[in-house]
Amino acid sequence: MNDGAVHITDLVKTYTDDRGRPTFTAVKKINLAVENGEFMVLVGPSGCGKTTTLRMVAGLEKISSGTIAIGDRVVNDMEPKDRGIAMVFQNYALYPHMSIFNNMAFGLQLAKKKKDFIKETVTRTSKALGLDVMLERKPQALSGGQRQRVALGRAIVRNPQVFLFDEPLSNLDAKMRVQMRSEISRLHSQLGNTMIYVTHDQVEAMTMGDRICVMKDGLIMQVADPLTLYRQPENLFVAGFIGSPPMNLLKGKIARKDGGLVFTETAEQNAITVPLKGLIEPLAAKHLDKAIVFGVRPEHLTEGSENGSRVPIASTVDIAEPMGSESLVYLKAGTGNLIARIHGETLFHMGQPLTVYVNIDKVVLFDPETEAVIR
Amino acid sequence: MWNRLLIRKIIAHSVLIASCALILIPFAMVVLASFRKGNFPPSTLWLSPEQWTLDHWKYVLGIPYSEVLNAATGETKLVGPTVAPLRWFLNSLLVSAIASFGIILLSGTAAYAFARLKFRFRGQILTGLLVLQMFPQVLTLTAYYRILNYIGEHFPWLGINTFAGLILIYLSGISINIWMIKGYFDTISPAMEDSARIDGASRFQAFTRILLPMSAPIFAVVFILSFISMISEYPTASVVLQESVNRTLAVGAYSLLDEHEKLWGHFSALAVLSGVPITIMFLLCQRFIIGGLTSGGAKE
Repeated sequence: MNDGAVHITDLVKTYTDDRGRPTFTAVKKINLAVENGEFMVLVGPSGCGKTTTLRMVAGLEKISSGTIAIGDRVVNDMEPKDRGIAMVFQNYALYPHMSIFNNMAFGLQLAKKKKDFIKETVTRTSKALGLDVMLERKPQALSGGQRQRVALGRAIVRNPQVFLFDEPLSNLDAKMRVQMRSEISRLHSQLGNTMIYVTHDQVEAMTMGDRICVMKDGLIMQVADPLTLYRQPENLFVAGFIGSPPMNLLKGKIARKDGGLVFTETAEQNAITVPLKGLIEPLAAKHLDKAIVFGVRPEHLTEGSENGSRVPIASTVDIAEPMGSESLVYLKAGTGNLIARIHGETLFHMGQPLTVYVNIDKVVLFDPETEAVIR
Repeated sequence: MWNRLLIRKIIAHSVLIASCALILIPFAMVVLASFRKGNFPPSTLWLSPEQWTLDHWKYVLGIPYSEVLNAATGETKLVGPTVAPLRWFLNSLLVSAIASFGIILLSGTAAYAFARLKFRFRGQILTGLLVLQMFPQVLTLTAYYRILNYIGEHFPWLGINTFAGLILIYLSGISINIWMIKGYFDTISPAMEDSARIDGASRFQAFTRILLPMSAPIFAVVFILSFISMISEYPTASVVLQESVNRTLAVGAYSLLDEHEKLWGHFSALAVLSGVPITIMFLLCQRFIIGGLTSGGAKE
């Protein structure tokens, strides 16, 4: 069974105005293979082309060039209903003049399915979603979470090969969002269908995706599983986008000092200097005296120096945010802050001198010109 | 303090009563004129018992009634109209109802195209419609006459003196309706139709089964406005329909006010009668004009 695999090849979307003149290109020749049964998340800032890509897979947006294949069928010129997809929209897009039952049954009615079959399918699905008591109500009488569940149900009854989600949780309040997140994840493990999920929220992306496709300006920045994406970002954009707080990215250069290599931040004051030892040393040596971006995750900065591969950074505390379990400490750096995620044992105070230790093996270096990672 | 409140209330109510009177008094005058013996223009708010008569209403409804020929001998004669004004009333109903449905059909589909489809000169055409709307239809009357005359030579059922011809002209004045309906469509999330298309609806089905039911209020409004304006439309109808038999209400009513013989009583009865279909239509459409019909489907 490979019916639910989605292959996107050299996909381009150029929007046109009323006269058919090209205005702007939202998707720029992207390639993406989604495996059968995979939960693929498309994530990126607004305007990155993620929703456009999804709408082209759905068949709601004409493809400018390239191909989209679902299973082994090229679906470029196929009607949405024939593609074996179902879609959940950000604003639910329920039919306000129809009851919940009819909202869920609409697709089956149009497909001229038997009445008994429709009734049975809708009843079963609504029960699973806890909607069976409100089938006669209109969408207006439902809460936001219930409405989105109806939209989910409407997608499920179509029994599609591929589920498409267009920021389905963005209009829900924070608590409901967390709940629906796990509900959709559970749905995926129960049904085992391919799901393509668009979001701008990197937390949703990290928690839900089997793999994540990070997009920016119509291009794919990186496709990887959550941990790879987090640990081995391919470029500056992914490093800065994934993670909360994001990776610390310091601009500077590599210099030789006291016989060893050091990274020195380019700045007027508070410039941070990090000795480069261990695994990173040979790599750094290749870029001696060159401009570089030094990247380190907040949690790889600690107060103590338990392990051998840790090097000290001396600075002062700018702001501290105690969260209870841990503290986010914003240290003064040349440009902006160096954020450290430190234990929550003690409180830190503004202006307090603090030496943190970098787990130097986890440091990532980027080329500031190409913005690509240096390996 | 109490006094000031009372004074304020009295002032407020006087203003309200005065504005009501401004509307109701002329109406009452017309009603009374339709029940007053003889053909007097609406002018009084009181009829003495011997002034009352149903003759005008009988005339309007085409029921023969006796008219005093000679007051001295008391000689009477049973009279009635050659063409009952009721006929004009039915003509108007027919023309207005058909034309209103036609207007809804045309302006609804046109509005859909302007709201949802992309085509060349879309913006310019929309602006053009607005500009056209600024010229009263009367200005084009002679042109319409020539056109209908010409069409009538080839299709007699669509020429001068036909209802079809009049309806054809009425259908041409829909640009403001297109704007109104388009404005309403613009407030409905396109995700609705996207969703319907994924559910397997064709563009046409998405239009008829999703967009149209959600737009019932605006269609009711357009229907009522068209209906009312056509019931009372005079210039076009008077030019197109020239035979007494197929006059519309407004044209027929005006013909009662001949230069030499102003039949104010008949006219008043007909005027009151013409309010009936408008009121009925309004009550029928009112249940569609409700807010919140589109709420709950999409959250923006």
